[in-house]
Amino acid sequence: MIFQKTSGIHIDGRKAMSKKLPMEEYFNPEYVYIHLIKNIGPLKATVEVGSEVKIGQVIAVREGFGEMNVASSISGTVTGIKKVWHSSGKMVDALEIKNDFKNTMDPDIKPNKNIDSLTKEEYIEKMKHAGLTGLGGAGFPTYIKYITHLPIDTVIINAVECEPYLTCDFSFILQYPEKLVKGLHHFVKTASAKRGVIVYKNYNKEIKSALEKYLHKYPEISLFEVEDVYPAGWEKYIIERVTGKTYTGLPSEIGVIVNNSSTAIVFADIVEHNIPLISRPITITGEGIKQPRNFFVPIGTKVSELVEKCGGYAEGLVPTQANYIAGGPMTGRAILIDDLIVNDTLGAVIVKPVNEELHPECLGCGKCADVCPAFLTPTEIKKALDSKDLGLIKSLNANSCVQCGLCSYVCPSHVEITDAVVRAKDMLRKGAK
Amino acid sequence: MARFANGKAPYLRMADQPNKGTSIIMRDFIIGLTPVILFAWYKNGIAVYIDGNTDFLGLVYPLFFILAGAFSSLLMEALYFFITDKEARALKPLMKKLSLSYALIPGLILALMLPMYTPIWVLMFGTFIGNIIGKMIFGGFGHNIWNPALLGYAVIKFTFMQLINANGGYYNPSETVFLFDATAGATPLAVLSSASFNYDAIVKPFGTLWTFFVGMTPGGIGETSVLVMLFSYLWLSFRKVIKWTTPLIYVGAVFFLSWIVGAMNGDAGIWFPLYSILSGGLMYGAVFMITEPVTTPKNPLGKVYFALMLAVLTVLFRFVGNLPEGVGTSIIVMNIFALPIDKYTAIIRANRWKKPALPQILTLAAILLVIGIYSVIKAGKVYTAIILPILHLGGVI
Repeated sequence: MIFQKTSGIHIDGRKAMSKKLPMEEYFNPEYVYIHLIKNIGPLKATVEVGSEVKIGQVIAVREGFGEMNVASSISGTVTGIKKVWHSSGKMVDALEIKNDFKNTMDPDIKPNKNIDSLTKEEYIEKMKHAGLTGLGGAGFPTYIKYITHLPIDTVIINAVECEPYLTCDFSFILQYPEKLVKGLHHFVKTASAKRGVIVYKNYNKEIKSALEKYLHKYPEISLFEVEDVYPAGWEKYIIERVTGKTYTGLPSEIGVIVNNSSTAIVFADIVEHNIPLISRPITITGEGIKQPRNFFVPIGTKVSELVEKCGGYAEGLVPTQANYIAGGPMTGRAILIDDLIVNDTLGAVIVKPVNEELHPECLGCGKCADVCPAFLTPTEIKKALDSKDLGLIKSLNANSCVQCGLCSYVCPSHVEITDAVVRAKDMLRKGAK
Repeated sequence: MARFANGKAPYLRMADQPNKGTSIIMRDFIIGLTPVILFAWYKNGIAVYIDGNTDFLGLVYPLFFILAGAFSSLLMEALYFFITDKEARALKPLMKKLSLSYALIPGLILALMLPMYTPIWVLMFGTFIGNIIGKMIFGGFGHNIWNPALLGYAVIKFTFMQLINANGGYYNPSETVFLFDATAGATPLAVLSSASFNYDAIVKPFGTLWTFFVGMTPGGIGETSVLVMLFSYLWLSFRKVIKWTTPLIYVGAVFFLSWIVGAMNGDAGIWFPLYSILSGGLMYGAVFMITEPVTTPKNPLGKVYFALMLAVLTVLFRFVGNLPEGVGTSIIVMNIFALPIDKYTAIIRANRWKKPALPQILTLAAILLVIGIYSVIKAGKVYTAIILPILHLGGVI
């Protein structure tokens, strides 16, 4: 209503589709394509075309803000630099690596002995070296969260996965529950925090039973259940529920750091075996896929190969009347050609038919304002956008929109209202033209 | 490689599920109106027939009247589309346009508000004003400023009332037989504007408060029954067609303000505020008009403020302006302010009541307080009821 906490609404998750089959490990595609770009900006290749690379060998670096290394995800030969599709909907340069199927490891990859005596600086150095970015979707370098000087009290692992259709985090946790707990343990140590909390959705009770047997070794770690609503995976929502506090800028203001569950699992490998970020879980699902399922694949794998392994597209699917979505159905992006490559932020590819009816006008029911978790009134922002009133957009606080997509979701008239708010945010950033 | 369709996030829409789109909302709205239509037919047709005060024609006439309103509303928009839009000159695209513009509804609502003896051509004139002037020339469904039905009603009320009264007025044949002598053909609120605040003068001629609750009092053919309106209210709230809080706040605020006004006028007990919310189509307005989505604020805070402001204006028009049409007039006035209210409350909400929204908070609060206090004082006749006696006591006058 008016003074309530951020609430959210229940959305039919349709997660059962891709949960039927266990996660499949698919480690040896013939080619991988490592994008020479990360969320924070472009990368510089450090290997030349024709050179041999091993698994885990550094092949590109980012300098300046967000400095980090990027490693090869297979062993083989660099055969060229090509333009390929990225999940942001653009074509970018990528290193093409041909697999030699020998799986030679970089000499750095070996069990780490001094795990218990690592300092904060060593942890952060490991994160940088491994190129660890958030695997939830934003792709922000993880170490930047930890170099804060503010005292950190709680590290929260976000295992909520509130987007419909997606099950990659869920099945990744069921596959490696111990690594998740270990990863969180190391995160807590990195931040010198007092406790670690793993937040999951009450819809996914299996997570609780899978994790409980490992918790007794780590007394600082506890579990926390949230409701099956969207956007329960939003940082602010989780922090409000776990700590009862709220913030305006970054969570570290109130002593909290939030990481995705897959990031924690990968971090456990980084700390204990020096394996950099070279593979990630991904869900291939949607009504347009014959047998939806989850994969654990090297970064750079072609999505079309995974779709192939799912049995291809469903029969009768007309591509021009279907969406090919990179990311979740609420916040993802439609890709026009099914030639996508797995990158570090791509958690899912969804293929589903679109509904192309004629829709009525906005009738002004106000459901978008009712559901907005940031208490915005999207219809007013759209009006301000149409009249290019920057001051009004600003006082309507369009910047606090988290692009969860709920307003468009609930709209009975199919108004592209989320898109309007996003454009209003863009206009704020660039200034009206 | 295949080419896929473009689209905007989110790719999942509630409206794609069966039973969720705008058309379903409008269907539910018409279902919500059904009990009102049936009651109107019962009260003005069936019951009168049973009393033996009318013939078969009179039995079906109320139903015919309401359907005529709906049909005429449809006709007006069809004509408008036919004239203005070349593509809509064949049957199929025309039907599509009409179904996306929900043309039936304003006519239905209008007919239910009118006295039974309104000539059909006046009803059609009302739908012309409502649908064409009030809705289509603003840009059609979703763009109108005024509630179309209410605009048509206001124009009829201010231009054709004499004609309607000459034609038979508000009283159906039974009421003419049983009530006319005692009340001289006036509706309850018309009685209020001429009588003092006295149960015997205001309520007694028409029965008891229970009569008001059930709705067997003279008035527009469908707007009198609070009981039936409650059913509609529950249904519409349950189906989430309307926001359940808005009518509640409006009715509650009118009750509270009327209670103060009654108390300041000396005599009134609890019957007075009850009478105030049970009469004059207030419930009809509360359930079907102040919740009408297009012409009211869109965000929840705006809806609350809108309802409070409406309550104040209703009281102002009823007890100060002595207009029998307090509800309708206040809604027409407030419809204009729906846009600024929406803007101001959206700013307040987005800033979560913090400092950047202070000017907006103060403006809205000041307007509400000033008009509210003015209405109550003025309606309470504070000068004659309180200040004058004090002055007399002091020997000043």
